[in-house]
Amino acid sequence: MPYSTITPAEAKPVANYKMATRMEGGRLLYISGQVAWDDNGHFVGTGDIGAQARQVFQNLRRVLQAAGGDLTSLLKITTYITKIEDFPAVAEVRSSVFQGELPASTLIVVQGLFHPDFLIEVEGVAAIG
Amino acid sequence: MDRHNILPDNPVEKGRGYMPAVSVNPSRVLFTAGLTGRNPDGALVTGGMAAQTRRAFERLQAILTHAGASFGDVVKQQLYVTDLDAYSTSGRAVRSAFFGAARPASTGLVVRRLADPAMLIEVELVADLGGSPQGRPLLEKYNAENHPGDFYQGSIVNGGRLLYIAGQVANNPDGSVAGVGDWRRQAEKVYDNIGHVLRAAGATPAQAVKETTWVLSIESWRQHGPAVRRAFYQGDFPASTLVEIPGLVRPEFLVEIEVIAAVA
Repeated sequence: MPYSTITPAEAKPVANYKMATRMEGGRLLYISGQVAWDDNGHFVGTGDIGAQARQVFQNLRRVLQAAGGDLTSLLKITTYITKIEDFPAVAEVRSSVFQGELPASTLIVVQGLFHPDFLIEVEGVAAIG
Repeated sequence: MDRHNILPDNPVEKGRGYMPAVSVNPSRVLFTAGLTGRNPDGALVTGGMAAQTRRAFERLQAILTHAGASFGDVVKQQLYVTDLDAYSTSGRAVRSAFFGAARPASTGLVVRRLADPAMLIEVELVADLGGSPQGRPLLEKYNAENHPGDFYQGSIVNGGRLLYIAGQVANNPDGSVAGVGDWRRQAEKVYDNIGHVLRAAGATPAQAVKETTWVLSIESWRQHGPAVRRAFYQGDFPASTLVEIPGLVRPEFLVEIEVIAAVA
């Protein structure tokens, strides 16, 4: 794995993610914010945060695969949602996708995303090695 | 330049002006601060979204030029706007003209407020500079123009050894929140936590290259945060971005700060 995990004794994450990751080689991959478009370019899950989250993480995985990596290549993800009430549903999908500890992670509630139907957008940076 | 534009077998991003992802064999990487439509005297340009977008990208162009780069070298773009309709009608085309045929990875967010309430757009970039770091730790921070802010406009680092720190909030190791309702205490706790992570990685605050500060109120942050921040960085600031948003993961959190650092 082309990164190491930093685990300080004095500070802990608030959930199941890494405090920091340090790249140790490989290619540096920046992934655009992924939204809930399916393979045909149709928007999935209007008004349905669970459906959008599932599509978003599937898209994230596909981009990683196209770059020669997978979910374990991720150094960090940033999850943007438009309503904090949606977070439990997002966390449930995210946990099932990652099946263990997340990479370094940030969650932000934004005023909006670039289309009124978008409820979630996830971007990532990865080390492909 | 060893750049891969990642385009899965998926037509949806075509024609949208950005790539789903971009990878590089990282040698020298440039992080810019969030740039806005300010003039050198600090005042915003007049003329609304189109003028602010043009000014922000002109400033980014100067930062890229200083590093010997151009928009074709941009790996990632982050757009923060406060008015999406204005961006769609009069900002997007201005932005596109700067990129031409180049396609970075991109994320666009609508935020509640930027540094000045009249600010409509802020943009930050990550660019691949190529060249060789020749094995030496590389950390060069610079300004392409004079400005009064506590940040550098650009940071150039060895992209192969970057430290990505999760967004830090004012949480204690036992899971409780430090400083409920107290901006000063939360700022101190957040920077304490960032300091712990940097030390655990063998780095110092001066090795921070990019910082993004997300706050529930820029006005409240300005009263309490900058003094704590100055004490932490002691004058050696990273490229930085400050954004106001409506919420963080717990209702008690007032501020969240993410840092990318260069490690030797």
